Amino acid sequence: METDTDQEQMQDSQHGTEYEREPVPQKSWLGFKSFIGMYAGEHCAGTELMIGPLFVAAGVSAFDLIIGLIVGNALAVLSWMFLCAPIATRVRLTLYYQLEKICGRRLVTLYNLTNGVMFCFLAGAMVTVSATALGVWFKFDMPGLNDMYPNSIGWVVAVLICGSLIAIVAAYGYKTVAKFANIASPWMVLVFLVFGIVGLKQFIDVTGTEVNSLGDIWKLANESIWKGGAPQEGQVKFTIWHVTFFAWFCNMAMHIGMSDLSVFRYAKKSWYSIASASGMYVGHFMAWISASILYAYQLHLNPTDTDVLPGPLAYRAAGLVGLLCVIIAGWTTANPTIYRAGLAFQAIIPKVSRFKVTLATGMIATIAGMFPAFAMKLLDFVAIYGMLLMPMGAVIFVDFWLIKKFGLQSNYAQISGKLFNWAAGLAWFITLGTCLLLVKFAGIQIYFVSLPGWFVAAVLYIVISKLYQQKIRSVE
Amino acid sequence: MRTIIKITGYLGIIILILPSILFLTGKMELDSVKTVMIVATIIWFGASIIQVWDLDKKLLDKQDK
Repeated sequence: METDTDQEQMQDSQHGTEYEREPVPQKSWLGFKSFIGMYAGEHCAGTELMIGPLFVAAGVSAFDLIIGLIVGNALAVLSWMFLCAPIATRVRLTLYYQLEKICGRRLVTLYNLTNGVMFCFLAGAMVTVSATALGVWFKFDMPGLNDMYPNSIGWVVAVLICGSLIAIVAAYGYKTVAKFANIASPWMVLVFLVFGIVGLKQFIDVTGTEVNSLGDIWKLANESIWKGGAPQEGQVKFTIWHVTFFAWFCNMAMHIGMSDLSVFRYAKKSWYSIASASGMYVGHFMAWISASILYAYQLHLNPTDTDVLPGPLAYRAAGLVGLLCVIIAGWTTANPTIYRAGLAFQAIIPKVSRFKVTLATGMIATIAGMFPAFAMKLLDFVAIYGMLLMPMGAVIFVDFWLIKKFGLQSNYAQISGKLFNWAAGLAWFITLGTCLLLVKFAGIQIYFVSLPGWFVAAVLYIVISKLYQQKIRSVE
Repeated sequence: MRTIIKITGYLGIIILILPSILFLTGKMELDSVKTVMIVATIIWFGASIIQVWDLDKKLLDKQDK
């Protein structure tokens, strides 16, 4: 149970109640175990139940999925280990304070606004997932794979009920839910595993496959579960490259984008970031594969039933416990997401109480959740989310490791007293503009564009800093 | 008492996963799997909540001292 207390401490830190503007002191550093539990729990969320099926809808093949996930998740872990954690354990500051020192308060406010809005939409997708469980009980029309707008009164009411409850609880008692999430986490991981085991057996039975070796299961996976071929209507075809880059970049905001500086500032050693592998290979490997098996089974039974609805999928495999898992997975992950979004907004309007801001944020997330587009297009949304925040990760990386080698000043906003470091701001805006142009005119898909984008941001920050810092010096 | 609750919690986790393995090997029906999972869920959450209460109480006692 010691781990629970550690996790609460870390959650406090992420939510800005501890060591907001000072390095974490040595007495508060945490051991390796705390990070394993935290990552395994946080990355086994309600949205995993959408992502797995969407891979199948994108026509992924067995080899592309398995190898793509192994490689992509490994790259994500390496990004935490070599980009984020070494800085986190050296400066031991929150992302926001580190950014403020580099970029100035006004630019951080803009970053907070962007982050808060994206958190709102992400929480909306989590509310959508939870609401699909209510559809199993109340039998209202639920959205289809290509639906963008709410398609029935029942759906709107279900999302409104789910979202409002989540918002009220997040505003009133964030800590209680966080505690409950810690309890639910191991249970949820195992229910996800059950989804996969039950789905596999259902496939074995329905196809009449005789399983005598692993080779037989691999054959079944290739021929019946992840068959490859054309994607569902309205979906992008996923190859091994798509899966690899998606797995790598779906948490881009956290590793390359440096959001988890706030987490690893508590780590005794930088290598503790390898604990992120627990989240990647439990949540983004096992859980995605399990959820995708359930959807593939639904398609196998009825190829015209393309709806991606976690509630009915989970209910078919695990009954009441499956439904409970969908609700809890959506709830426990939407709760901190709404809370974090609320904190991001509160930083912009500090005079309004945290309660009111969190409640309002939860209601925005609820309205977003009514629009199935955020959940049904989750693969694209997650890629955009990572891309939006990635340039600031590049700015932090360059500012910490490289900028002094070019004869420039790191933590420039703090030293110069500037409220808006234009070098960082322009590096951010121009990188996003470049990424959008690459997607629109160069035919690079949104899943890949963040890789060149990171280098563009890094180079831009150095070049513009060279001009900007000189200009400031000459004016001074 | 604390140890018994801890063991009960772990037992809940084993009971949660075991039926699906039995289903995979063809030794259990899916409906029974679903029922046993409900029981396992109650055991896990029951034991975990008691443990958290106990921990909170211990922390409060420590603060009082």
